[in-house]
Amino acid sequence: MSASTPAHARRRHRTPSRALLYAALTALLLAFVGPLLWALSGSFKPRGDIFAYPPRPLPSPATLANYRHLLDSQPYPSWFLISTAVALVATAVSVFVCALAGYGFAKYRFTGRTFLFSVMFSSLSIPFAVILVPLFVILVKTGLGNPWFALVVPWVAPAFGIFMMQQYIIQSVPDELLEASRIDGCGEFRIFCQVVLPLLRPSLGALAVWTFLQSYNSFLWPLVLISDNDQFTLPLGLQTLFQAENRQYDLVLAGSVLATVPTVLVFLLLRKQLLEGLSAGAVKG
Amino acid sequence: MTSIPADRLRDPRSLPPRATTIGGRAAGPRRGPARAPYVFIAPFYVLYVLFMVVPILVAVYLSLCEWVGLGPPHWVGPRNYAHLLTDVSFHRALGNTGVYVLVSVLVIVPVALMMAQGLNARGLRARDLFRVAFFIPMVVSPIVVALIFSLVFDRQFGLANSVLRAVFGLGGFDWLGDPTLAKVCIGLIMLWRWAGYLTIFFLAGLQNVPRSLYEAAELDGAGRFVTFTAVTLPALKPVTGFVAVTSFISAAQIFDEPFLLTHGGPGDATLSVAMFIYRAAFERQQFGYAAAAGVVLFVLVFTISQIFNRLLGIGRAS
Repeated sequence: MSASTPAHARRRHRTPSRALLYAALTALLLAFVGPLLWALSGSFKPRGDIFAYPPRPLPSPATLANYRHLLDSQPYPSWFLISTAVALVATAVSVFVCALAGYGFAKYRFTGRTFLFSVMFSSLSIPFAVILVPLFVILVKTGLGNPWFALVVPWVAPAFGIFMMQQYIIQSVPDELLEASRIDGCGEFRIFCQVVLPLLRPSLGALAVWTFLQSYNSFLWPLVLISDNDQFTLPLGLQTLFQAENRQYDLVLAGSVLATVPTVLVFLLLRKQLLEGLSAGAVKG
Repeated sequence: MTSIPADRLRDPRSLPPRATTIGGRAAGPRRGPARAPYVFIAPFYVLYVLFMVVPILVAVYLSLCEWVGLGPPHWVGPRNYAHLLTDVSFHRALGNTGVYVLVSVLVIVPVALMMAQGLNARGLRARDLFRVAFFIPMVVSPIVVALIFSLVFDRQFGLANSVLRAVFGLGGFDWLGDPTLAKVCIGLIMLWRWAGYLTIFFLAGLQNVPRSLYEAAELDGAGRFVTFTAVTLPALKPVTGFVAVTSFISAAQIFDEPFLLTHGGPGDATLSVAMFIYRAAFERQQFGYAAAAGVVLFVLVFTISQIFNRLLGIGRAS
């Protein structure tokens, strides 16, 4: 397969290798999506059929009984609302903090900038497991263990988001625009709010989706923090069903599908922004 | 052939922003700008100090105490660390976490690179469909992932065993009950969750490699493998560094998968350091001991990732 041969030779060897590539990618696609579809199909099977042998890809008969049973026996809406509300608050705070700091690093030169930037960046390498115990102790001792506050805390200062915003701002906010606003007599904060923020909309969306998912799906911190059944988040609620004596697969499957559908939908709707926004930070660094 | 200059790749990207930023700053530093940047970055540092620096200091203090969570902590000096040195469970946890880290850096990262290389093929159809489908596992909650894979790896009725039995006539593997297989399962789940996510970074990196470099390599008569090692890999060095360090940090603090799927078992075969910390603090009320394990994890992860960041030049202010 030497490349020095003319073009038609290359094309000849390309066709089978193309077919191979598509085959490999399709196999991967099945491997990544298959387990999810298996769970989706299982959620519509009668309890006894979930583990039937030989495995049946489609539920027959299909039933909504699992969903009905779940919604009747568990406070599912409450789990969902708590998870969503906490994630929304965390997202709002975090996106604002990240955009501010990202802008500060992207568009100003100031004493200590390099040092402060590397301090910020190095916080990416602090494992959450170190903070777990002391943060729990601090919040409980200071009476801030209230879930609405405490559940939000780990998500409010993500260095990754700042890094991402910084990269995006360098690329997409022209200095001339800032200069023009300064000449018009705008204050720096007003420039940020009225000139810069609107330009950042795509990457703010990406960061928001990302933060939302992180918080909505988080497991360890709520597990440590919340002991009261009434305050369970979605993952905690599902976990109690999952760890129960007889593993109520019918209920957990239905609950998992209900928990996952909104996140997958949001992701599919905003996929372009999210995927491009995520990679922009790392690649153009 | 090997002399395609890596710095040529970095130059066009790093130059324009630097030049314009300096120009912008010099042109109009009126009353605001001197203080403004500090105000902009201040919220982050306030939160950072409150919720990261302070907890780490408290962790160091607690790690030198014995404390069951009630009453005042009792100062014992470095005794917790001495215990960690001889605690077989902790050694297991460190060893297992090391395995998870190696799997993520030496298996998952290269797999993601190969997947990106496949997706970057010129004129590929349905690229977006593949890219999005590969990413979806990252969007799914870990508890759901655990549930799905417990359906797959169930010893009696799981999908994996059913398929093996139906297709190859092989008998029931105790996927999650065998110490080695259980680790393999955790590794597979990590691969399933992270590969598509990491692919996104590599794909963006590949799309940034100037086509002229590939054309030059072709003119030089380089084959696929040489082109890959001489053009693609050097151009991807910054991305690879970022991806490798990020996945190292995630794998080093893995908790959800082993906790939910195997609870660290069988025995301690899948126990991770993060799980060890959780178990010590919240199942055994040994808060000082848990904090000490946390400090050890912090020192290891922080030092190693700083060394790699330094070596690979990641995370410097542009």
